[in-house]
Amino acid sequence: MQISTRTLNDVHIVAITGSLDSTTSPDAQKSLDAVLAYAKRLVLDFSELDYISSAGLRILLGAAKKLRASGGTLGMFGLNQSVREVFEISGFSSILSVYRSEAEALGGM
Amino acid sequence: MRHEFRMTVGATREGVAEVNSAFAGFAEAHALPAGVRRSISVALDELLANVRSNAGAGRDPCSVTVEVELDDERVTVTLTDDGTPFDPLKRDAPDTTLSVDERPIGGLGLHLVGQLMDQVSYQRRDGHNVVVLVKQLVDG
Repeated sequence: MQISTRTLNDVHIVAITGSLDSTTSPDAQKSLDAVLAYAKRLVLDFSELDYISSAGLRILLGAAKKLRASGGTLGMFGLNQSVREVFEISGFSSILSVYRSEAEALGGM
Repeated sequence: MRHEFRMTVGATREGVAEVNSAFAGFAEAHALPAGVRRSISVALDELLANVRSNAGAGRDPCSVTVEVELDDERVTVTLTDDGTPFDPLKRDAPDTTLSVDERPIGGLGLHLVGQLMDQVSYQRRDGHNVVVLVKQLVDG
């Protein structure tokens, strides 16, 4: 799992590569917390995310709650079929803002 | 053709990471479809994380044996651990309709396993928890 960040105007885009599971989530959590310390508008780029388990979902839910509490926004794009399926089973596709492309996600911020 | 691998690791973060990477290698070597590989990776992670937290609550650090068998029709994964008796099937399904604010963190993992796999079974056998997962290679 690798994380890289870039900023477009005041939107922070965080790309997560590999898997978000019980072994990688502690590191992902630290990286995301560091971004959440200053970011109000956050877009997660999942184009290179292979799969996500509940440990990864937990991090997303935590980030969504933090941003909601501080009046920020969270969006994500680039979900593969498996990640999409996990989102649907868990009900996350209806509580998180999932976009079809980066442009669409930026437009929704 | 029939292929299999088997490994035993400690119920630790490192042990789970070893299983993840061994399974990814096996999947690549035998050209497992990406969707099947990812579903099994998620299920493996959920169950191994569960064994880990179960082990933490119990006595000694426990160990878990993972066996993966692949034939022309399906992948069968058997997880055997010597931890505290725990039936992952005896869990209430979480409420997946709650909003971000209402949603408790956690409780989803075993629900995912049940939905992603075609069959899940549990047995307590000779002092071990034995969970068997089956994923069909072709949709039935």
